[in-house]
Amino acid sequence: MSEQEPQASAEQAPAERPARHGPPVADAPQVLDARGQASAKLLAQAAGTNAIDSGGGHDVPWVRVAPEHLLAVAGRLREGAFGAEMLHLIAAVDYTERIEVNYFFLSATKGHKGQVKVDVPPEAPTLPSLTGLWTAAGWFERETHDLFGVVFEGNPDLSPLLLYEGFEGHPGLRSYPFNDYQEW
Amino acid sequence: MTTPQHTDTLDMMLNMGPQHPATHGVFRMVLALDGEEVMDVIPHIGYLHRGSEKLCEGESYGQVITLFDRMDYVSNINNELAFVRAAERLMDIEVPERASYIRVILAELNRIASHLLFLGTYAIDLGAITPIMYAFRERERIQALFEATTGARMMHNYLRIGGLKEDAPADFEPRVRELLDQLRAGVEEIDRLLSLNEVFLARTKGVGIIDGPTALACGLSGPSLRGSGVAYDVRKDHPYEVYPYLAFKVPVGQAGDCWDRYYCRLLECHESISMVAQCLEQMEAGPIRAAGRRIARPPRGEVYVHSENPRGDIGVLLVSDGTDKPYRVKVRPPSFCNLVGLKPMMEGAYVADAVSILGSLDIVLGEVDR
Amino acid sequence: MASRPAQLVLLAVIAVGVAAVFGGFVFVTRWLGAPQELTALTLVQFAVALLALVTLLAVAGMSLVWLERKELGRMQGRPGPTRVGPFGLLQPVADAGKLLFKEDVAPGEASKLIFFASPLLIMVPGLMVWLTVPLGPTLVVRSLDLGIFFFVSISVLSIVGLVLAGWSSHSKYAVLGGIRSAAQMVSYEIPLIMAILGVVVLAGSMRFEDVVALQDGVPYIALLPAAFAVFLVAGLAEVGRTPFDIYFAESELVGGPFVEYSGAHWAVMLLAEYLNTFLVGALAALLFLGGWRWPFGDLPFGAAVAVMLAKTYLVVAVIFWGRATYPRLRLDQLMGLGWKVLLPLSFASILATAVQQFYGWPAWTLTLLSVGLLAVPIALQMRGQGRPASAYAARLRAGAVAVAAQPRPARAAAGADGASAEEEA
Repeated sequence: MSEQEPQASAEQAPAERPARHGPPVADAPQVLDARGQASAKLLAQAAGTNAIDSGGGHDVPWVRVAPEHLLAVAGRLREGAFGAEMLHLIAAVDYTERIEVNYFFLSATKGHKGQVKVDVPPEAPTLPSLTGLWTAAGWFERETHDLFGVVFEGNPDLSPLLLYEGFEGHPGLRSYPFNDYQEW
Repeated sequence: MTTPQHTDTLDMMLNMGPQHPATHGVFRMVLALDGEEVMDVIPHIGYLHRGSEKLCEGESYGQVITLFDRMDYVSNINNELAFVRAAERLMDIEVPERASYIRVILAELNRIASHLLFLGTYAIDLGAITPIMYAFRERERIQALFEATTGARMMHNYLRIGGLKEDAPADFEPRVRELLDQLRAGVEEIDRLLSLNEVFLARTKGVGIIDGPTALACGLSGPSLRGSGVAYDVRKDHPYEVYPYLAFKVPVGQAGDCWDRYYCRLLECHESISMVAQCLEQMEAGPIRAAGRRIARPPRGEVYVHSENPRGDIGVLLVSDGTDKPYRVKVRPPSFCNLVGLKPMMEGAYVADAVSILGSLDIVLGEVDR
Repeated sequence: MASRPAQLVLLAVIAVGVAAVFGGFVFVTRWLGAPQELTALTLVQFAVALLALVTLLAVAGMSLVWLERKELGRMQGRPGPTRVGPFGLLQPVADAGKLLFKEDVAPGEASKLIFFASPLLIMVPGLMVWLTVPLGPTLVVRSLDLGIFFFVSISVLSIVGLVLAGWSSHSKYAVLGGIRSAAQMVSYEIPLIMAILGVVVLAGSMRFEDVVALQDGVPYIALLPAAFAVFLVAGLAEVGRTPFDIYFAESELVGGPFVEYSGAHWAVMLLAEYLNTFLVGALAALLFLGGWRWPFGDLPFGAAVAVMLAKTYLVVAVIFWGRATYPRLRLDQLMGLGWKVLLPLSFASILATAVQQFYGWPAWTLTLLSVGLLAVPIALQMRGQGRPASAYAARLRAGAVAVAAQPRPARAAAGADGASAEEEA
């Protein structure tokens, strides 16, 4: 399964990327191994009809779901056969016309790994919070809000975690400059 | 005698940090105290936030390795390994066996060094001023070996995508063997001094208890999680490099208190020593770097790889757009996730226990803040 | 830092000075004897004796600074001070000099009068006690018949200074530290006094010289090991030494009641702590180890003083050894130890002593009783904490989850894979 091409237009990119010379850019082959396939089955089972897209490589399968189905899918991942006791990571990636928030789940006892991708529009990035299911979600979401501006409804505390109060802007976004930013 | 419901007392807010001898770096903890008991703990981090993940987007893959060195500045090799494995998985590179063995040897020695630092600093937080001297003496031995092998005592920048920067020196094997004997004796010395000391037991037994399910929900990993009885270790459950060919034991606690977390780390030192010995037996001569271009240009795609840091599960999400600089690098720092467990552990603790509990989590702020 | 010859000269000057003061002290106390009438000469005598005493105590305190740093250093695998003077002997002089040159700061909100008076309130009782504590056969300013009683009643006064130091600093940490230190010291006074009372019962006198003379055959440590243990532990808690130094623990309260003090005032309080440590050592040597007499009996003056000082420094070295080894006890654990273990033990010890004296039993019965009493808390501790802990540790070691090694792939295959893995961008 191929990734969507990240459109980093030259004006918005923080670093000036010169035009590439040489052979065209290849896509990484994403092939699931045996463990990954077993996890993919359980992941598909948990996602059910909510899965828009799926894929994955090695032992980490992924599905893409819509933001409104995230809470339900996460709940099924936790309670169902997948058995995700641990929310491993919430990572936001800024593909300029959308922000893709990745949720990584892990079952410590059964050894399954799974990834759920959710796309949010950059002008109104809102997602339901998973703090009710995993306490770990609290700080992950707080950091994502800090650096990317994604609002997680239901998170009790979205105050800045890594940045200080009164910091303007969200430095994680691709549009945030490397150098010309607010000095304390 | 006053009854609690008739006296309206205010909680006293005690601020510990960011400059405090016991908070292991620039970490700020605000404790709401009712007399001597801790009612609430509000951690404040971000004092060491350097924007490492953002910086990665402007540096080539070889330069990103140096950034990873500095995230968890105590376990450098393990951090480099986490990133380099992610890049290798994305580019589908197979690392030569000798390089993999040397990587694991250095990673396990790094683990011992990191745990020695924990043993020393945890003891001095509690008031025992001698184990830290012994621990750092042993650490110096390990760092001398690292200096001979990688060129630096701490920020090694030794691992490369596809292998190592250069082969180990000629006297590597006898030197490591001698080092292992010294480390074994050193760790046992600290064990004899500290583990069953009555005052140490009084300060750590039954303090900061967290049970397995809560720990998993909070995202704990590594010895902090294993102290609560959950036998989850990335080297065991999702083995990588040459770990499948090594026989080792994963120490697991039962009570989930500070002593269990401490003892798990102590036992892990012994396990790491035995793992390094096995690696030395199995290692053979050979190439130490897979053939490839010096400037890595992975294909487009993303990959998520996690490894066992001394502090827990370090995960690296690497998104590449085909250029020589990563598009996005996201790190799952184990200390960051372990800090979430601070609040459940502090329930019913005293002020003096706050230091003990924080120390037992073994956090490194460079990793928490990035 | 001065050059090596200059250091040696300084060391020689200090040694000569101390010897002169010591000689003056000996002269005043020994050859002039205890004055009977209050004349002008008596006043001069007293003045010289007091000045000499204070100087000697300051030197003793500084020698303890040196001893502690050397001993701790050696136990931690490092040499300790070596640069300032031969064997680092001038290190305390350098420390004192540094502290005296520092700026005297007081917090803005602090009550200045009490802030600056508190170090004196801590130091003076510690010095006053030394009027009656002998360091040799006649080496004491005034030998009182109620010497032990005098020591007990005066030494308690320094607690007031400690609390005032914490309170007057107007800082949360200092107030907490002051209150904790007061609680700790008050609760350990009673076991300390009870332990000393056991010795008084045995000796039948409160005079230090009598207690020493009556230990000619058997030192009281052999008769009352439980009382000695209580005395040592309670003495540690009184002085505020590890494992009982929670109230100025660096890593928790960053200095406790002393956190706002700097310079000369800090030096005074530090000296007070070392003097108290020296006092505990001297008292242990006098009351339990036979002072300057056991096991040699009558010795010439110099040898007797040397024996006494040797015993004192031995106890002090053990106290420092404890600092190197143990972590700190939490405050509630500390109070629990004092009230629940030491207090009953000390009461039982006095009871045993009284019973033995009343019925006239032979001395070894007292030893037996005392050892039995001491064994009770030790056995309870081992049964409640020590044995279960080591059994638990063994369980954890055995219960580690074992991961088996998988066989490695064949060498040729691995080599081929390694060579063929390439990625051309």
